[in-house]
Amino acid sequence: MQNHQFDLIASPGFFIATLLIYAGGAIGSLLLQNNDRRAALWSTLAAIAGSILGVSFAVAALLRGIIPAFTSESTFPLLSTSFYVDSLSALFVLAICLVALCCSIYALGYLRHYYAKYNIGLLGFFYHAFIASMILVVTVHNALSFLIVWELMSLASFFLVIYEHRDSANIRAGILYFVMTHVGTAFVIFAFLLMYQATGSFEFSAIRVGLDYASPILRGVIFLAALIGFGTKAGMIPVHIWLPSAHPAAPSHVSALMSGVMIKTGIYMLIRVSLDLLPPGELWWGMTVLVAGSLSALLGVLYALSEHDLKKLLAYHSIENIGIILMGIGCTLAFSATGHNTLATFSLIAALYHTINHATFKALLFLGAGAVISATQTRNIEHYGGMIKTMPQTALFFLIGSMAISALPPLNGFFSEWLTFQSLFRGATSFDAFHDFPFILTIGALALTSGLAAACFVKVFGVTFLARPRSTGAAQAKEAPFSMRMGMAGLAIIAIALGLFAGPVSRVLGQISANLIPGGKAESLGELNLITVSSPDKFYTISMPAVFLSLLAASIILSLLVFLMTRSRRVRIAPTWDCGTDLTPRMEITATGFARSIITIFKGVLRPSRQTDIEYHDSRLRYFPKMEKVILGQRDIYQPYFYQPLRELISKLAIQVKRIQSGKINAYVLYILLTLLGLLIYFLR
Amino acid sequence: MTFITPQLLLVLTTTVFTSAILLHLTKKNSSAVFYYVIQSAAISSLLVIASFERISILLLISISATVAVKLFIAPFFFFRLIKRHQLKFTVSTYLNTPLSLAAIAVLIALVQADFIKPLLLLTTSGQTFILNLSLSTILISLFLIINRKGALSQMLGILSLENGIVSFALSAGLEQSPGLQLGITFNIFVWIIIATVFSSMIFRKFGSMDVTALNRLTE
Repeated sequence: MQNHQFDLIASPGFFIATLLIYAGGAIGSLLLQNNDRRAALWSTLAAIAGSILGVSFAVAALLRGIIPAFTSESTFPLLSTSFYVDSLSALFVLAICLVALCCSIYALGYLRHYYAKYNIGLLGFFYHAFIASMILVVTVHNALSFLIVWELMSLASFFLVIYEHRDSANIRAGILYFVMTHVGTAFVIFAFLLMYQATGSFEFSAIRVGLDYASPILRGVIFLAALIGFGTKAGMIPVHIWLPSAHPAAPSHVSALMSGVMIKTGIYMLIRVSLDLLPPGELWWGMTVLVAGSLSALLGVLYALSEHDLKKLLAYHSIENIGIILMGIGCTLAFSATGHNTLATFSLIAALYHTINHATFKALLFLGAGAVISATQTRNIEHYGGMIKTMPQTALFFLIGSMAISALPPLNGFFSEWLTFQSLFRGATSFDAFHDFPFILTIGALALTSGLAAACFVKVFGVTFLARPRSTGAAQAKEAPFSMRMGMAGLAIIAIALGLFAGPVSRVLGQISANLIPGGKAESLGELNLITVSSPDKFYTISMPAVFLSLLAASIILSLLVFLMTRSRRVRIAPTWDCGTDLTPRMEITATGFARSIITIFKGVLRPSRQTDIEYHDSRLRYFPKMEKVILGQRDIYQPYFYQPLRELISKLAIQVKRIQSGKINAYVLYILLTLLGLLIYFLR
Repeated sequence: MTFITPQLLLVLTTTVFTSAILLHLTKKNSSAVFYYVIQSAAISSLLVIASFERISILLLISISATVAVKLFIAPFFFFRLIKRHQLKFTVSTYLNTPLSLAAIAVLIALVQADFIKPLLLLTTSGQTFILNLSLSTILISLFLIINRKGALSQMLGILSLENGIVSFALSAGLEQSPGLQLGITFNIFVWIIIATVFSSMIFRKFGSMDVTALNRLTE
């Protein structure tokens, strides 16, 4: 393609055209809401078209290094806005549109489940508003405009979470999400107001310059407020409680978008604030993020292990992966604060790579889960089994996603986790004994997380697709429609490609990272080519194509060996020896049984509960049990130990504050007078 | 040619300020409305003279509308309210007269304090005293709303506050566009209608114009 064509695609006009298509998709869906089929077709086709334009725009901007930007000036601050699509923004636009493209293709078949049950036009409206607002969140360059689009994204996703409103659990999940997202937004507003106080502007470009002169304490407070605010959206522990309820409640293609890309907008803003708007911070910023990342990763995967609701389990894995991304950001902040700019750049590559990877494989897994749930009408994995026979292609895509999230080579998850490990190893050797310690602990946490994630997906894949069906739904399941498989196939191919072509992708991410780290130079990052990725001092080197070829060669050699060793044997088909009983699905290992031993090891954290109900043949004698029912679960530690005390504290404060609400208009005017005098004294002194 | 001389400005601003104090001292509703009319007349005179300086038809129209609302429409509504509900006296205040005067003295002293000085730099005539008077009028009017229990007095307090703000703007040389002036006048006009309607409703419901009766709404 000619350069001028790239320039045309990476122009503000093309960007606006993308947004207009989403706007058209939203309005058209509403207008066609009386006809489910037409509304679904219009909604999905418009989303596909918008996503293709968005992907083209982002790719052109990234490859050509163009920064499309435009500003709208007004004397009224709310009407002033600016958009600035630098390479970081372009990367996130690419991730959003790529995942949205696959989800929209998937939705062509998936939306049929909702025909005549729910309003498809309304779903299409909020779906488009959701995607467009996510794109705006990562491109807007003005704090006030940002808050508006951030709120738009939250509201659109809230309505998508409560879309299946006849289920009261979904309404509860939506309300929890609504409350938590606004708690997070309160912290975000606080951070922006502090920035405004320090710089006198809501424009990111002015804030970037003005914050250089802000005091370290103010910068620290802004950083903490941003970490809590954006961490809430990202699903960081302990402000994660909305995520495991809200993500499963939404339709599966929306869950894929929420888990795949919406929570990444929190990561995007954390990077934007801590590495772009704020000048290089202090070491404790990095250490704080490292600790938050370790806790989120480890606890996220432990909760996932004990979960039997397929979508909830995947939501917990999102918390785990956000933790891994935070580890990379933590390393970046720590290295940046101490002047290790090349290492900071490399750590940021790890964080960004895992962000993109998680967007693809988590979306793939949610789409796979959606296909399975549509076929079986249940989210409980104990009711699955043997579905590899009835849904072989879905099983293959789910397996690819499972392997990627379990960080198995040569898939993308492996490479980004490997990079994160390398960053942590460098951290453990670059600081004094005291500051090495968090890195060493984080390495342990990441190692444990990786192992547990692999165990969890052995459970999920094994219990869902292998062995024999445990329910009629699983036995009678049919393969997902073609468009749903297409959507999954797209994401599976991207996951494989991101693993195999790690070098070129790292080079692009290296350029983005170098732009954000003061003193960071893409040329100093070592070899980042098609074959090899290595650090300048050869501390680490890896070749993903070589890893792939090695695995392929090993598989071929092993197959050949097995073939050679067994070719003389006769194949004899006979029943399995079963101790004289009939084998039934009830004899298979269940998800609960599989996870119970691991849960027992971590019972101090997970607080497993066991409730036993016994029914006796004779309730007076209580000798001969007729039926025994065991309910295994986990106690929620966040409600009683964190949110409940916090709620009580806020309630007490509210009761005290309520005293000023006397119901007398004279008193209220007195408050106005006192405030006026206070402001006069404060500003004129 | 300058029509608003510092002397004229001083006389009219002093009238506005004195009216605000008299609004506190009077016990009769009709007298309060009368003082408000005097205050509004002073403000209207200032506005009319200001419009002569800027020869603008639109400004003159907007100021004519302001004069109509402040000098004729608002008093008409208030006198009708007094007549309809027999609201001759409104003596109900939170502080008695000596304490009210003491509070007013404190507010005027606050305006003379050092921290207000940067605000006085706004004055174009160089006479900071005039700006002080306007600021005092604003605070005294706010205090009128706080101290009085009667709805009518509170409404007059709000209108007096508005007059104080206009006086401050003129003293500080802050020009108002005709459109803005017209908008504000329309706003006051609508507010007066709504406020009198609500006051009548309050009287019918609670048998009094005393806003403390509204406390029952919170129970």
